[in-house]
Amino acid sequence: MTYRSADTEHQAVRGVSIEIKQGQFYTLLGPSGCGKTTTLRCVAGLERPDSGQIMVGDEIVYDSASNIWVAPNNRHIGMVFQSYAIWPHMTVFENVAFPLRYLKPKPRRAEMREKVRNALSLVQLGGLEDRPAPFLSGGQQQRLALARALVAEPRVLLLDEPLSNLDAKLREEMRLELRELVKRLNVTTLFVTHEQIEALTMSDVMAVMKDGLIVQEGRPTEIYGAPGQTFVADFIGKTNFLKAKVVSRDGAGSNMRLARVDTPIGPLACRMAGDAVQGDAVTIAVRPENVEIKAGASTEDNSAAGEVDAVVYLGNLLDCVVNIRGERIRVQLHPSQTLAKGDKVSLRFPMEHCLVLPS
Amino acid sequence: MATVTETLVRRPAPAHAPDLLPTVMIGAAVVACVAVASLLAVILWLSFTDGTPGIEPEYTLANFTNMFLDKVTYLVIGNTLGFAATTLCVALAIGLPMAWLIERTDFPGKRVVFTLFTVALLLPGFSVALGWLFLLNPRVGAINHLLMWLFGLGEAPFNVSTVLGMGMVEGLSLTPVIFIMCSVVFRSMDASLEEAARMSGASLIQTMRRVTLPVAWPGILAASIYVFAIGFAAFDVPAILGMSNRIYTFSTYVYHNINPDGGLPEYGAVAALSMFMLSFAVLMTLWYSRVQRQAPRYAIVTGKAYRPVIVRLGRHKPVAVAFVVTYFVLAQLLPVLMLVWASGLPYLQPISAAAFESLSWRNYLELQPDVILLGVGNTSILMVVVPTIAVALALAISWVVLRSKLKGRAAVEFFAFLPHTIPPIVFSVAAWLLALFVLADVLPIYGTIWILVLVYVVQRISYCTRMTNTAMIQVHKELEESATIFGAPTAGVMRRVLLPLLLPAMMYAWIWTALLAYRELTLPVVLTTSGNQTLSMVVWGLVQTSAFGPASAVALIMVGLMIPILILYWTVARRTGIAPAG
Repeated sequence: MTYRSADTEHQAVRGVSIEIKQGQFYTLLGPSGCGKTTTLRCVAGLERPDSGQIMVGDEIVYDSASNIWVAPNNRHIGMVFQSYAIWPHMTVFENVAFPLRYLKPKPRRAEMREKVRNALSLVQLGGLEDRPAPFLSGGQQQRLALARALVAEPRVLLLDEPLSNLDAKLREEMRLELRELVKRLNVTTLFVTHEQIEALTMSDVMAVMKDGLIVQEGRPTEIYGAPGQTFVADFIGKTNFLKAKVVSRDGAGSNMRLARVDTPIGPLACRMAGDAVQGDAVTIAVRPENVEIKAGASTEDNSAAGEVDAVVYLGNLLDCVVNIRGERIRVQLHPSQTLAKGDKVSLRFPMEHCLVLPS
Repeated sequence: MATVTETLVRRPAPAHAPDLLPTVMIGAAVVACVAVASLLAVILWLSFTDGTPGIEPEYTLANFTNMFLDKVTYLVIGNTLGFAATTLCVALAIGLPMAWLIERTDFPGKRVVFTLFTVALLLPGFSVALGWLFLLNPRVGAINHLLMWLFGLGEAPFNVSTVLGMGMVEGLSLTPVIFIMCSVVFRSMDASLEEAARMSGASLIQTMRRVTLPVAWPGILAASIYVFAIGFAAFDVPAILGMSNRIYTFSTYVYHNINPDGGLPEYGAVAALSMFMLSFAVLMTLWYSRVQRQAPRYAIVTGKAYRPVIVRLGRHKPVAVAFVVTYFVLAQLLPVLMLVWASGLPYLQPISAAAFESLSWRNYLELQPDVILLGVGNTSILMVVVPTIAVALALAISWVVLRSKLKGRAAVEFFAFLPHTIPPIVFSVAAWLLALFVLADVLPIYGTIWILVLVYVVQRISYCTRMTNTAMIQVHKELEESATIFGAPTAGVMRRVLLPLLLPAMMYAWIWTALLAYRELTLPVVLTTSGNQTLSMVVWGLVQTSAFGPASAVALIMVGLMIPILILYWTVARRTGIAPAG
């Protein structure tokens, strides 16, 4: 699917192909302007792509080749908007009942009331039916938006950064609650966010987007543990990058290949996922929590000596920067460790945690 | 399951009912644009012809050459500029300090002042002008006579039927516009700028001179250009006060050429004059929008909650109150009282014991009921039909401009904005020419109420669109998108979401348009025949025949009939919480 925004030559979505299995929680993650929201809005029918095909279930809702276009109101999709889009002139009940009014066949009054009640109790808003919608708190409005999205049993649930307007504590609670709820109802969900933590904690499958393209797709553990590009490694979590040159490689054929590389801090043995060959310039990525630290010098493999540059106490961990021949390496330690600026230390980079990425 | 692949079984979507409303709204917006465009086109076209209705026209530049060769034209331009400048000076000198007093000091009874200004804004301009005629006419003006008697003067010290006199009257009646526009500027100004100046050691006066006025300047300039443009295009005051003394401003000169002293109207010449006036008005509007666009560059803060510094007036309070009270008594109350006085007299005369003796209800009793009833009927039709159509069209235009993805929506926005720039008399002339030259055979609406409906609606469309635009911008797009996602077609989104949310603004625009239709004189003045007389035209007709007593009586009846409508207006305004606008 491609999408060209109306006002510019800029292509917001340049070729995205995703497939979400029944009941799957699928997340599009990326920085603002990467095209994730446009993709979601194309699925919703609020934007019309330039080319491609979109299917919901086994129904084609958009196909540029055969000129098929199903208006958004006929797609039978549920959606939670970033602003929640709770209608301020209606009560809680009227908000939730809205999607039911346009069901075919239209449910009877009693049935409608029953469905609204169920949807509200699902999100723990039972008993608030008659309250005017603007009188709800931010968290309650978010739940209301969710109840409204689910009440008509949609084929797909679209979530457009639904947690971004909540305060930090509430957001953490809602992450778990939201995932639990959609998994229990077994709703196919497409979730869009720029918060890596949300993508990591909530998704079955996540896709990282950049400049209108999907850069990497996979389970959260795969994306975090084995990013395929420096962009992914940098965007999700914190990563130390080292410029390097491949000296040799072996273990061809097995799924964990080994590469020996030269870096500014010395030679390293690394895990290799791509297909770089000897002499290639590459980037080595190491997560701060995977670096081991020791006082004094070390003779072990994959080690280097340096000096502590800065130590920041963060409560649950100690964030420090070690200077090795001008390279500043971030290391995360247990807060009980005692370190001070100027200490001579050596760092060990476990081979399985050093990733070779294309430069 | 949502997929964007080509691997699954394809099943075309089931057929759904077509969504008609977008087409209807686009159609309505286009009709409105065509109406605006054709009104202007007909003036442009006829200004280059020797036009007479029914005869194949010949193209010529003579209308323009004659206009520019005629000395009278320059006299009129001079009069108009002098009149507009006087208007602006008077309005600014009174309105600006009042805006500051109300917004930035502990002036008592601010609500009352706002209410009085709204009334002043709505009082028909021609009634006030009539009142001033009775006050400052050199022959019978009450003030003139009082001064002559007090100081033993041989002749009247004031003549209201001069450029200065008319400018003063117009300025007093446009003071509310300056007041309202400038209070918005003062209200939206970040008070911390002034606080910072005070903290840096500047006195109140220094702060005002060095911070308040410079920061508010773009807003004040915009308001000034706006009022100058209104003054340039004004008809009511110069028509009532100046025409009998043969002092013309542009609007009245155009009118004079429609009804020349002898013979037929010169259609081509009138069109050329209108073109000239139109060009000037467009230039003013361009300047105005430029200034207004620049205004936000200054630190004008909106939406942030803050409490402006309130200046304590202290012992100056009585002076400030006296200033405001004097304005309302002199500029608004006194002219209306003069109408009461004149409506009781058999003929115009100075205040005297004999005049008091002759006061009676005769002027009221001798009014022809059928004429009055026809006027009331026509005005009522206009007050209901015009706002209804105008607001409906404005809604369609706003929707097309802000919500649709129509390719020509920028053009729609432009045409909807155009009427805002056009002097009312030009509109009136345009509709007159359109009816006579183009529609005469196809759609004979000349002389009916429908030509008035047409021109009123087109003229008010800018204002109504501005109201619906502002309201629609405030409705978060996702509120409508969510309704669409949850199954509502465009009509459903409109009925259940957009209309309920826009209703307050639409009601406000409706009633304001109705009120302006009520007091309108300029638009019908060219278009009225005996069949489609409005109430304002009844007054106009009586003034034309120098029947000032009955004219005052009808003008007073009009002011009286306004009271219930005003009450309705305040009820709406209070419930919707929208501030008055011009």
